[in-house]
Amino acid sequence: MQSREEYYVPSGSYWPIVGSIGMFALLGGFAGSLHGSMAGTVGMILGFGIIIFMVFGWMGQVVHESETGDYNLQVDKSFRMGMAWFIFSEVMFFAAFFGALFYARQLSVPWLGGEGNNAFTNQFLWPEFKSVWPLIQMPDASNFSVPKGIIDAWHLPALNTITLLTSGATLTWAHWALMNKNRNQLIGGLIATIVLGVIFLGLQVSEYMEAYQHLDLKLTSGIYGSTFFMLTGFHGFHVTLGVLMLIVILMRCIRGHFNNERHFGFEAVAWYWHFVDVVWLGLFVVVYWL
Amino acid sequence: MKYLILVFFIFIFYSLGSALYYMMKDGDGSKRMVKALTMRVGISIALFIFLLFAFWMGWIKPTGVA
Repeated sequence: MQSREEYYVPSGSYWPIVGSIGMFALLGGFAGSLHGSMAGTVGMILGFGIIIFMVFGWMGQVVHESETGDYNLQVDKSFRMGMAWFIFSEVMFFAAFFGALFYARQLSVPWLGGEGNNAFTNQFLWPEFKSVWPLIQMPDASNFSVPKGIIDAWHLPALNTITLLTSGATLTWAHWALMNKNRNQLIGGLIATIVLGVIFLGLQVSEYMEAYQHLDLKLTSGIYGSTFFMLTGFHGFHVTLGVLMLIVILMRCIRGHFNNERHFGFEAVAWYWHFVDVVWLGLFVVVYWL
Repeated sequence: MKYLILVFFIFIFYSLGSALYYMMKDGDGSKRMVKALTMRVGISIALFIFLLFAFWMGWIKPTGVA
């Protein structure tokens, strides 16, 4: 058992409250912007900016504490446990949204079409309705934006899949470089991964513009539009955060913070990027294609 | 053929999960994590090539309006 002196207790930090204010402004502003409020949109952008500021500020403080030798083995274990719980919450988060898609696609929409023991449900509610996924022919479209079509999986989404898979490969290339003490390859691999991540985000923005402006596929396009934008949108947020974290890791690599024996920060961010990559593969298969 | 996609995903989850286990368990000098992640990337690329081929051959038909 370790003595009390061995455990590092960090001093009070204002970053949690900054993060909370940023989250409140982002989500409150987002809710407002859905109701067409300009102040809401401004609050949302401001909140996003505060969160970016918090991410860099908080990470900077932790990096500083780590580099000045404040952390010991016990703190290292705490970081690993923290990462494990963070990953668990992320898996549950995406499981909930994939679950919502599964429920709508395999259960509730077919029930409205009369499947299972629901023939009378179909007859009483919308006898003309045929259950087809993607649900763009809604039983009652009066309150929804009816899409003219869907995003073709084998155009932009396929290109995005190639982009993200390549970024997984370049990150692994950088990871091997770290283990084999090849500094130039490490930095080159990280820069390539960041550039590919930014390209992915740019393509995703152009896909959303195509969906909104040409296809009328919107967040208000019923259950298909909701699940499509919730899943791909939250994935996009994760890629954004992943790019930010990779930038921090790149800066740390340039400053020589890691070596082949001590690099948990690199490993945690690398794993996160691989996780986000796998989530995208799942999205490509079940949201865009099948 | 769709079940083959599921098999690919099981292997991807396994390699990603084992990378997580090695990250938590091993010291930083171990190469088991980077090996598991290399496996993850390899299987993912193989899956995408398979999807491309299956689409081209018409083995897997998308549901609905696509």
